[in-house]
Amino acid sequence: MASLNSAAAAAATPVAPSAPRRPGTLRRLLREPVAAGAFAVAVLLVLAALLAPWMAPTDPLDNNLAAAMSVPGTEGLPLGADSQGRDMVTRMLFGLRVTLVMGLLSVLLGGAAGAAIGFAAAFYRRADGLLMRLMDVLLSFPAILFGLAIAAIFGPGIPAVVLALSVATVPLMARIVRGAALVVMRMDYIEAARATGMSDARLIARHVAPNCLSPIFVFATLRFGQVILLGSALSFLGLGAQPPVAELGAMAADGRNFLFFAPHIAVLPCLAIFVVVLTFNLLGDALRDALDPRLRV
Amino acid sequence: MSALLEVNGLARHYPVKKGVLLQKQVGTVRAVDGVSFAVNRGETLALVGESGCGKSTTARLVLRLIEPSAGSIRFDGQDVTRVDGAAMRSLRRRIQIVFQDPYASLNPRLTVGDAIAEPMQVHNIGNAASRRAKVQELLRLVGLAPFHAERYPHEFSGGQRQRIGIARALSVEPDLVVCDEPVSALDVSIQAQVVNLMKDLQARLGLSYLFIAHDLAVVKHMADRVAVMYLGRIMEIGDKRSLFRDPRHPYTRALLSAIPHPDPSRRGKVVPLGGDVPSPMNIPPGCRFHTRCPFAQERCRQEEPALRDIVPSHAAACHFAESLPDPGLNYAGGLSEAASRRLALFASARQRAA
Repeated sequence: MASLNSAAAAAATPVAPSAPRRPGTLRRLLREPVAAGAFAVAVLLVLAALLAPWMAPTDPLDNNLAAAMSVPGTEGLPLGADSQGRDMVTRMLFGLRVTLVMGLLSVLLGGAAGAAIGFAAAFYRRADGLLMRLMDVLLSFPAILFGLAIAAIFGPGIPAVVLALSVATVPLMARIVRGAALVVMRMDYIEAARATGMSDARLIARHVAPNCLSPIFVFATLRFGQVILLGSALSFLGLGAQPPVAELGAMAADGRNFLFFAPHIAVLPCLAIFVVVLTFNLLGDALRDALDPRLRV
Repeated sequence: MSALLEVNGLARHYPVKKGVLLQKQVGTVRAVDGVSFAVNRGETLALVGESGCGKSTTARLVLRLIEPSAGSIRFDGQDVTRVDGAAMRSLRRRIQIVFQDPYASLNPRLTVGDAIAEPMQVHNIGNAASRRAKVQELLRLVGLAPFHAERYPHEFSGGQRQRIGIARALSVEPDLVVCDEPVSALDVSIQAQVVNLMKDLQARLGLSYLFIAHDLAVVKHMADRVAVMYLGRIMEIGDKRSLFRDPRHPYTRALLSAIPHPDPSRRGKVVPLGGDVPSPMNIPPGCRFHTRCPFAQERCRQEEPALRDIVPSHAAACHFAESLPDPGLNYAGGLSEAASRRLALFASARQRAA
């Protein structure tokens, strides 16, 4: 076939445009001002969480009861102190660390398992009924109940919270991925790929999964926010972060009792949760767009 | 000429189930119901028929994208329905498909180069460098430019995408290309380009086509032989010339006369087909076309006609194939004026290209 060059082809061959190469995913991501802002804040948040032990002015457990409930701006306590007189700056940094790890791990673990089940259900139609009914069973338990059960078995703590929230995320992700994959599976390019004789795993990895990214990203970022709030609820119930460990949700729950005398104890961790959730939602949206070749300029 | 693809008594029946928990079968959709044909090397067999007659199902059966309920498919002497594993893989390399919808047939997340190279990757043909070279060559072959390899499908027009789909099918040097209405989603002027491209490629590469279409002008231009399907069965099959000049089945006649015509004074000459296609869940007894056939007799309601040779290499499934009245239609070589004009357009597009 090497010598084949039709006259028709030669006549129709246009000249290569001299446009520069397309920018990479990261560069496209950073071109949007909102996305770039979210990216910067996310980097800051992750850095703050990672470097908490070195950045924090004090130990998160150092308490000075004399300074209890100091308002922000008090000398040496820029964000005040909590009910035990512990520095809020330190507590927030360490709390952010635990909250981020908890949220990300739960979404990643639960999302990955859910996506795998969703793809399997869409791909192997025989298994669909059984898999999705199992997901329905999981879906019928509230996340809090999982937390209770798992804490009862393994003892309360962050690992129990991550496990409970992961399990609670699995059926949701499985449903979303199954639906998206079913749509994609009906496209002709899937049949074309099948007709080449490629393996199922390759077909899913190369053709089905990349075309399901949009809903996965949207759901994962939404779920990240929900998971953090659920984790806080579990901590509040005493199933998650155990005092005196700093965790944003637990701190907010702790501050609830002093809402009228020292609102900053509850408000500051809530603000931090708000910033974290908002940042990752914006980032997820931007990432989804940046990964879609159809939206490239 | 030896047969490359031989299909015998091919059938695909879908059970229709009812009930939520205890499903029971309430019927059967007979999408393809005993189809036999052969495609010779280097030849184009066109499969025509109206929507829902089982053309596309037949195509997918040949590719073994779906499993047949009955019948055999022999490709180059091997029974496609019985092979497995490595033998199936090598068969898959030799039979490729081009789809109708150029917008759905390319993965939007893969560059055109990756899409074309993929079949070669799956079959471990060459290394990365040789595959890249082959992609460039294929792009040129179908009238695109090498730099197009880095672009994504959404950056192309429908006609260009169809060329990319053809390049992808050709990347593994198949013997048979199944074309499932490859031009029906394109503008007429683009159709001409793509149809001519496919003919050129066939001449150069010795391809065989199983060409599915409902557009008789395109079929007349492309095909060597034509098979007319109705409700999952072949009604008439024969050499293109013989079939277009002297259609022996009332359904084929109706199809030929139904090609739209701009001249209102000729409308009276169209053989009108009453009614709709019966449901493939409930195929009429006897000849499955008798409910709409203007020549139907009592025998047609009782006895299903076999597909039999009327003249050499031209068979029809009609009891009265020999005695049908002259259709009294001036087909202008079997086709209406409008269709002839389209053919002329194809020919002129080809001349321009040459």
